[in-house]
Parts: sequence; C-alpha cells; structure tokens
Amino acid sequence: MRKSHPVRRVVLATAATVSGVVLLLALKPASGPAGASAAGAAPQATAAGQESPQGGAQGAAPAGSGTVTGDAVRTQYGAVQVRLTVSGGKITKAEAVQAPKGGLSDQKTQLAVPRLNQEAVAAGTADIDAVSGATYTSEGYRKSLQSALDKIKPASSGTSGAAGSAQARTVTGKAAQTPYGPVRVRITVAGGRITKAEAVQAPKGGLSDQKTQLAVPRLNQEAVAAGTADIDAVSGATYTSEGYRKSLQSALDQAGG
Amino acid sequence: MTTTLAGGRAARRQTMRRIRPRRSPAVPLLLAVWAGAAAVLWLWWHDTPSIADDTGRILGAGRITGLLAGYLMALVVLQMARVPALERRVGSDRVARWHAMSGRYTLCLVVAHVFLVMWGYARQAGRSLGDIVQQTADSVDQLPDMGKAAVGTGLFVVIGLTSAGPVRRRLPYDTWYHVHLLTYAAVFLTFWHQITTGNDFAVEPAAKTFWYGLYGAVTALVLWYRILTPVRLNLRHRMYVEAVIEETPGIVSVLIGGRKLHRMGAEAGQFFRWRFLAPGMRFSSHPYSLSAAPRPGMLRITVKAIGDHSARLRELAPGTKVWAEGPYGALTAQRRSRGKVLLVAGGVGITPMRALFETLPGAAGDITLLYRANTTQDLALWDELAAIAEERGARLMYAVNSPEGERPDISAENLRRKIPDVDRHDVFMCGPPGFAQSVYEALREAGVPARRIHHESFEM
Repeated sequence: MRKSHPVRRVVLATAATVSGVVLLLALKPASGPAGASAAGAAPQATAAGQESPQGGAQGAAPAGSGTVTGDAVRTQYGAVQVRLTVSGGKITKAEAVQAPKGGLSDQKTQLAVPRLNQEAVAAGTADIDAVSGATYTSEGYRKSLQSALDKIKPASSGTSGAAGSAQARTVTGKAAQTPYGPVRVRITVAGGRITKAEAVQAPKGGLSDQKTQLAVPRLNQEAVAAGTADIDAVSGATYTSEGYRKSLQSALDQAGG
Repeated sequence: MTTTLAGGRAARRQTMRRIRPRRSPAVPLLLAVWAGAAAVLWLWWHDTPSIADDTGRILGAGRITGLLAGYLMALVVLQMARVPALERRVGSDRVARWHAMSGRYTLCLVVAHVFLVMWGYARQAGRSLGDIVQQTADSVDQLPDMGKAAVGTGLFVVIGLTSAGPVRRRLPYDTWYHVHLLTYAAVFLTFWHQITTGNDFAVEPAAKTFWYGLYGAVTALVLWYRILTPVRLNLRHRMYVEAVIEETPGIVSVLIGGRKLHRMGAEAGQFFRWRFLAPGMRFSSHPYSLSAAPRPGMLRITVKAIGDHSARLRELAPGTKVWAEGPYGALTAQRRSRGKVLLVAGGVGITPMRALFETLPGAAGDITLLYRANTTQDLALWDELAAIAEERGARLMYAVNSPEGERPDISAENLRRKIPDVDRHDVFMCGPPGFAQSVYEALREAGVPARRIHHESFEM
C-alpha cells in the first residue's frame, strides 16, 4: 500500500537501464583501427607478405601456380575479397583479404572466415557451405571465391589434364550427404593407385565427433588398401561409411576419367 | 464474558502454537532474478572482445537490450504461470503487479533492441538512420527466423497497447484478456531468431543450452500449472452451483457444491478464478474470494453485482457446472505474526475477512473486525458475523455513513480510541482502493508497522 510513483519509477528504470548499458559499453576496451583489424589481421598480414612476388599479376593467373585474387564483393556489412594460392592446378590456400569489420562483424568474421578458408581449400570449388550466423559473409565469400576460380579456370583446366598419370595428384570427391552431415573424401593418386585417402568433411558435433573419429581413419586405410570404393562399412557408423563410399567413388570417377 | 478462562495463560499458549507465520519468498526470488540478469550481461561481456566504433557501440547496446528482453520475457510469462509459490506465498496481487511492471519494461527493451540493431546494421551497410525502415525490411527478408520475430514483435506492441491504462479501461475485460493470451504466440515466434541470429548463442553453446533450459522450464510450468493442474482439480471435484442467495441488495452469495471440497487445500482468505458454464459466461473467468472456510461439500463466494459478469451471477440456475482454478492468494493466516489481529473490511471486501474472522487462530479478544459500509442495510453477512463474534469472543465493529450521508471518520485517533493497542495488531485489510489507502495511512499514523499491514490489491 505504499504510495506508488509511476512517473518516478519510469524515470528511474530508464535512467538505470541507459546508464547501465552506457557503462558496459564504455568499460569495453575500444579497439582502434589497428585493433579492429586484429580479427582479420592474419589473412591480411600474409596477403601483404605475398604481395611482392605476385606483383601486379592480379587478373591473369599464372598457369598452374601463383595467387589469384577474386573480386571484392559488397555485403551488407562490408566487402569480402578472397585470394587463392594455387599450386599444380590445386588450391593450396584460401584467405580473405577483406572481410566485414567492426562491432558484431568482427566476431562473425573471426568465426566464419577461417572455416570458409578451410572449406574452400577442401572443396576446390565455390560450392561451400555457409557458416551459420554469418550468412552474408559466407555469401560474399562464395561469390568472390567463384570469381577467383573463374580467373584460374582457363589455366588450370590445361594443367590438370597435363598433370600426367605418373605424377601424384589430388582429387576431391563430391560431398555425399548423410543424415548427420556431409562426407567428402580427397584422395591422392599416383601411378594409377590411391596413395592416400582422407576425409575433408565428416559429420561433426555431439555424438558424431566420436563416430567420425572412430570411422574415418579406418575408412581411409581401407580405401588405400582396396584401391576401389568397395570397402566395408565401419559398424556403428553406417551412414558415415555409406557417405564416405559415395564420395570416394566420385573421386575415383574423376581420377580415373 | 470479559473475565473468563479466555485470558488464561494456558489457553493463550495453545493458540500461539497454532500460529505459524511464514515469510514471503519474494526477496530470494528477486535476488535470483537479478542474478540471472547479471549472468545475461556477463554473457555479453564475455563474448564481446572489444568495440571498434560507434556502430559497434550501437550494436552492443542493441544486443544487451535484446538479451535482457529475451531473459525478462521468460520471467514475464513465468509470473503468470500460476505457480503456487508465487500465487500463494508472494501473493497473486503482487505477482500481477510485477508482471505488469516487468511486461512494460520488457516491451520497451524489445523496441529499443529492434531500433538499435537495425540502426547499427544500417550504419554497417553504409546507410543513414533514415534508411532504417528499409534496413529492417531487408533484415526481416534475409536473416533466418526474422519473419517470425517481426510478427511476434508486432503482437507484443498490440498487447502492450491494449494493456496501457486508458485503452485497457475502455476495453471489455474479455477482449483484453484474449488479446493478452496472444503473448504465448508472440514469445514463441520471437524465440527462434534469438537462437539462430543471436551472436552469443552461436559462439557459446552453453549459452544456448541455458536459453533452451530457461524457456523450456517456463513452458513446462505453464503447461503444468495453467492447464494440467486445473484440469485435474476440476475432474476430481466436479463443482456445480448449488444455490444463489441474495445477501443484501446487490450482494449475492453463490453456494458451490462438489466432491471432497475440503481437499482442495483452500484456506480462508484465498480466492479461486471461477468460470460458470452458463450461456454467455463460459468464456470468462473471474476471481472471487471464498466468504467462508471451505467445508467438505460446499464452498461459498459472495459477490457484489458491479460488473457485467457479477450481475449475471444472480441468474445462475442451480446445477450449472463450474470450472474453478485455484486456490490463489496469500492473504491468509500465514501472513500474521504472533499478536492480535484487526481485520478491516470495506464493502464487499468483507468476503475474505469473513472467512478469516471465522478461522484465524486466536483467544477471545484477540480478533477484531471493523466493517465499513454505506448503510447498515449494506452490511452483508452481518448476522453470521455477529454469531461468530459471539462464539469466539471476538470484537465486531462497524462504521457506516451518518443518516445525512456523512462518511465515518476512520482516523488514527479514532482507531486508537476504539482499539487502544492497535499498534500491536496485525492488520488484514480488504476493500476498494481509496478506502484501503486511507485506512492504511491512518493505521501507519496510529503506529502500526507497514510490514504488519496485510492487504491484497488488484490495482495495477
């Protein structure tokens, strides 16, 4: 029954909330331009380092190896630009020389770009999964990656054919969907034989981590041993095994063709 | 009557043993709420390494308000889940006021969150503040679950508008109530964008688990206490209208029969939300206090015919089925400390006081009832009260307007004159808001500490 003071309460609540939020924001270390780029610093630094040997050869890709920089793609939060290092017609390295910065974007970039880089190297195409929570960045990355790939295509289509069967080369199969996530196999072929098999993508998260850990090394061994996609499924990881088999088959198809 | 065994020490000890005061859990609950809010802020702090510029600050503020709104939203729903600890220990009235207050506050946070985040995104996209509408449309279009969130936010705004004082007073109760039920839909719709686009939940799996846990627990409590508990109660007790009795002009008592009604756990001073399954009354439920202690085969409510609903009660046919939810309310014997008790009733506020007058433990002379009404004809239930007073050796006083229509003077002085040790009483009070306020002030002036004045008020 104490007297209520609605106006006083409103004023107090507003003042407390606003000052609380302002205080929190003020206490957070502000990162200047130097700090802000810290998130994207790693790719940027390496990019600078490699700038000189590459010179101005931005557009015309050197046949077989070198670096190619894709177009800068504007997203809602800033530009994304991808640079690829290509060697032997294969992407050996992908990095973002530009990515959204500032506020929320710093974290999203930090979260998304390394994963996208990995995916790009693994896939060798622009057909990569978006990182959830960073949809825009992923989309921009994909576009820039595609434009970079377009630049190396003319050169690399020749090289990959001329690679010769004696030379070791790597082929990545298509991603095979399983209920727990895609599986994608990369094989190294030399002299018409599989010398190495690895899964560049496999189900992740929760129980899947364990299954993947359990099954993938065995499947890799089997693939090398068999030299075909006719390998036994690992019990307890049937779906992963099945996906592995399919992706392996598609890699073999590509290598054999 | 004055000199008898009643004053004996043994008798006094015996009654004292039956008084078991319980503290309201309000303080620990509020502490838990604040701790939760602190945890939510810490989550933001933990996940935000640094802030680059003003855009970052705007987005930071947007995220803080968003996180707080998401957290409070769960609590706002929880407050209306009819959890017994809240309804019976803290008190339905107080919880309803918390609900209204935190609901308004949360709505403001939601609006601030939407504005700040969209402003921040607009700046990131190189747009000006004027493009915020366009930015909002784009984000709703492109980000996951934002369509749902936009609909939910719209619902929140509508619910908020219908609950604002001037609008609410003009709306029929039922309309307001049914619009308010949309809150569940709005909470559901806005929940998903928190998980899918919320940065903290993407970065921190533990935070996601916490959030699911919070909302899951609230959902479970709502289902349990708002749906399953009433269904079970009504299946078990199968209540119906036994009779309707006119007590005084405009005040009726409804006698309700049913099975094993004493097993409902209702105490004197509590109320149920009643729904009479008669044409035109089926879709609204109203809170009415018990006006007598529950008996195995009968409950009684006494109602003043003021509103649309209460006026119709008079026409209830015996045998009409009744759906009740409860018991709710904390204005019970557990509130008192170990002293004498003064009950103050204004008008139809006599109902819970009548039940308490009958059942509060106390030796002769410990219990006093002061009953305020316009005229002596309006003193509903007077004969019963007189009989109880006689039987228990309790004091019964009334205050009515003078024949000229002058209001009786319930002042500190008068109270002290009539009840010399009034400052050593626990006071239970029920009546119209203006009356309750003036009596409260008089009591405080007469030296009754605030913590010993117990009342229930459903004013927001």
